[in-house]
Amino acid sequence: MTTTLTTARPATRSGGFGGTVAAEWTKLWSVRSTWWTLLAAALVTAATAGQLAIYAANANTNDDPADDAGIVTVGSVLASSVELAQYAVLALGLLAITSEFTSGTIRTTLQCTPSRGRVLLAKAVVTAAVTFPAGLLLGGVGVLVARPVLGEWGSAPAAGTARDVLAFATYLALVAVLALGLGAALRSAVLTLVVLVATLMIVPLSLQEPDIAVLNRIADGFPGVAGNHFLAGDTDPYPAAVGLLLLAGWAVAALALGRAALRRRDA
Amino acid sequence: MITLRGLTKRFGGTTAVDDLTVDIAPGRVTGFLGPNGAGKSTTMRMILGLDRPTAGRALVGGRPYRELRHPLYEVGALLDAKAIHPARSGRAHLLAMARSNGVPARRVDEVLATVGLDDRAAAKPGRTLSLGMGQRLGIAGALLGDPPVLMFDEPVNGLDPDGVRWVRQLMRSLAGQGRTIFVSSHLMSEMQLTADRLVVIGRGRLLADAPITEVIAGSAVAVRVRSPQPAGLAALADRLTAAGATVEPAGPDELTVTGATADRIGDLAHELGVRLHELSPHGASLERAFMDLTADSVEYAGVPTGGETR
Repeated sequence: MTTTLTTARPATRSGGFGGTVAAEWTKLWSVRSTWWTLLAAALVTAATAGQLAIYAANANTNDDPADDAGIVTVGSVLASSVELAQYAVLALGLLAITSEFTSGTIRTTLQCTPSRGRVLLAKAVVTAAVTFPAGLLLGGVGVLVARPVLGEWGSAPAAGTARDVLAFATYLALVAVLALGLGAALRSAVLTLVVLVATLMIVPLSLQEPDIAVLNRIADGFPGVAGNHFLAGDTDPYPAAVGLLLLAGWAVAALALGRAALRRRDA
Repeated sequence: MITLRGLTKRFGGTTAVDDLTVDIAPGRVTGFLGPNGAGKSTTMRMILGLDRPTAGRALVGGRPYRELRHPLYEVGALLDAKAIHPARSGRAHLLAMARSNGVPARRVDEVLATVGLDDRAAAKPGRTLSLGMGQRLGIAGALLGDPPVLMFDEPVNGLDPDGVRWVRQLMRSLAGQGRTIFVSSHLMSEMQLTADRLVVIGRGRLLADAPITEVIAGSAVAVRVRSPQPAGLAALADRLTAAGATVEPAGPDELTVTGATADRIGDLAHELGVRLHELSPHGASLERAFMDLTADSVEYAGVPTGGETR
């Protein structure tokens, strides 16, 4: 045990936004749950894509695929598997902030970086920087599983599949950032997850159920539905790019909401 | 230098911190004393910009904490020793802190050595750390940026006697280097050994802000004086009264004196040639001074159990 102290002041002072990002990166990879979450995401993606591929193949009863319109692209199977796979990925964004409130480390974080906006933006950058490449990998996994299962009932045009994998990764990264922003506002992991399931699935599904035009239009504005239109490359009710913008808008709005909550409320 | 100006925090209807105006100066250990629930931690959280004051300001080096660009170089703080992610190692915790402020990574090893955490202890996940190890880790984090201002909230909690002594020495040496040391405690005895100056609060309100010797002297310390010489005792009583002390007879050969120290009374008795059989101060401790100061402001007073029905 020693009481001697170095009196020389540490010289480096880069810090800044890069420092905040580096700190968040260090935090994310210093807990094992990050790896488990990514592994879970891979398993869920593989299982869902495989399952959906089996359905697609079984739905075709014609013995001759050549004269059947039921051939699906592997990318469309991937797009549908996002429905479940996203929950493992958005947990990553969610836990990046809610675990800080649970463990009390949010106070250390804000002590190091008093700017709430900077902390949340750094977390968003790290979340996106991890979930986008992870999404590409997951997309690859989904394609590799779905393609052989689809067999002759599936097609995998190179350009189209690449576009679908890219869209899959983009969707996941945006949803993870949306979860992060919402987590910053709600602070509790469970509450955030409930709100996310409602926003991504339950509410839009309920709106679409009666198949009334007005309600369908409203549902089209929800992030999950918008994301699906983007993934499917739809042109109706709006172009895929609009779906992407809507989803991105939801992510940005969630971040703004989270920042406001972090600034206003005591840590 | 920490500057509090009319600092106030209300939670709903309760006032946790009430119009606190204090300067905490460099070069000494300032003890922050108060019963549980007095508002010590809330005050410290407001200094760190974690809680927003309802009114007033808390400044560090003349600036609000939220405006600091590299706060770890300005203020080091230990708030809650248990505030570490259960799965994250102590070293990773410190490394993340260091990176956020551009503190070189080698500094992490330096502060770990300073607080006496070896490689094995630093590699353990947060959930396995004892309270004492958590305190050391928290102190290491506070020292990372080698800041001129340091705040510790109940730093000796959970430490073994060795650790307690070490924290004491650390604070003294940090203050000796000209830093501002602000340390809270509800242990009066601890403060008596560490602090140069005391800021005492109760129910959020400032009760005392003075050198520790003054706080002790200012309390209603009674000195019992016994002498076998009644005439001499009467003469002594007169002299003491003339000197501004309060003297009450407590028996045929005994006086109770308040407002004069035992030293002073002994000197006077010597001057008057009065033989003393007893000269004993009662409650001349910070403990006593603290009780006097906070008597009206204890949030959770003990309830006598005598008349309880079962």
